[in-house]
Amino acid sequence: MAADISSFETEMNRGFLQVLVLAILEREMYGYSIVKKLGEKKYSLEENTLYPLLRRLEKKSLIKGKWDVSQDRPRKFYIITKEGRELRSELLKIWRRQNEILNHLIKENRNV
Amino acid sequence: MSERLKNYLEEIGHYLGISREKQEILTEIKSHILEKAEQEFGDITDDAVERIIDTYGNPRRVAEKYMDDSQIIAPAFKGYLLRYTMILFAFHFVLILLSAIFRVSMVVIPFFYIPKMDSFQAFFYLPMAFVFDLGLVGIILYFVTQSRKEINLPWPKLKVNWQKIMEGKQTKSKVIPLILMLMGYTALVWIYWRSGTLFFKTIDLQDPRSLLTPLASQWYSLGLLALLGIGVAAYVVRFFTASEWVDLLRSAGQLVILGILFNRPMDDPFSEFVYIDLQIIANIFIAIIAAVLAIDFLKSLIILMKNSLMKKTSMEP
Repeated sequence: MAADISSFETEMNRGFLQVLVLAILEREMYGYSIVKKLGEKKYSLEENTLYPLLRRLEKKSLIKGKWDVSQDRPRKFYIITKEGRELRSELLKIWRRQNEILNHLIKENRNV
Repeated sequence: MSERLKNYLEEIGHYLGISREKQEILTEIKSHILEKAEQEFGDITDDAVERIIDTYGNPRRVAEKYMDDSQIIAPAFKGYLLRYTMILFAFHFVLILLSAIFRVSMVVIPFFYIPKMDSFQAFFYLPMAFVFDLGLVGIILYFVTQSRKEINLPWPKLKVNWQKIMEGKQTKSKVIPLILMLMGYTALVWIYWRSGTLFFKTIDLQDPRSLLTPLASQWYSLGLLALLGIGVAAYVVRFFTASEWVDLLRSAGQLVILGILFNRPMDDPFSEFVYIDLQIIANIFIAIIAAVLAIDFLKSLIILMKNSLMKKTSMEP
């Protein structure tokens, strides 16, 4: 391959991950459970990327975090907020539009 | 908790600095590593923890991911760092040079203190001055970044016309006057260096006699050298730019020098009794130069304002 794909993949993932996390947090989950859930869907996510992202989304009030210390190990559970849902809906619209444009261009290229 | 996990978290904490959320971040990472070790290896052994830590990543990189949003200096200001430092250092350099030549210490409020030093000490002082300037500009840009306000920093626009310079069409006629200027200026500096004055009563090479007292000689000679020096520097800069700012700054700088000379009260600057009133003639002479410079300053100011107005008018729809 001409270029190293990993750096391009990281760039593409940056926006995608935000939507993904906003989508998965429709029900309460904590960091490790998110990684596992995405792993089941064959999506490998670096933990050291997930936790800072959760923190950033929480700071923007798009998700809400709550510590659970009732078990043997403390866990921070996250869930999407109303603002998060609104943003997710807007981001999905953008994502669909981008997909349409890309598909349209690919079709056009095939006809060249 | 295993020793390795403790050290790992400590190192991440070290890179996170004084973040208020530090403890919470570390607790979350610790909880994650322990749970993953338990889930993937069946038990939390030192070996299992070690393996999970290896996949979690380098402590510095982990900490950096939490700080992606907190820039020390905004990327847009990074270009300013070196440019502003160079401008400041140029100013600093001249002060150090003056300190080394005249063996005086200087305080330029609020930032600079230049100690009295010889040329050898000055040579070693220069890197320190550069580091100081870099740090000072860095701190200012840091505070500008942290304020998160829309601050537009001034960016000196030097419209360098490299094509004309390379072709040499415009510059050829300017090079000879420049060489003559530099030669004349060097000669004046040399005379001052040798005799301590530029104002002579007699032109006797063996025994030059100053027209002025030693203090007045120093002040007026240095004043003259500064006036001419600014003129030569502006002439050189004009090679690279057509900006009217050069002339404006040149005449402003020269007016400041004249102002300093005027405000230096000396009862009698002349070394010996002279029959004609030289003080009045000198004052008239300085006043004429000041008037010419003031007109020059106003002319440059008007041209700049006119250009700015024309630019604004042409930008309007």
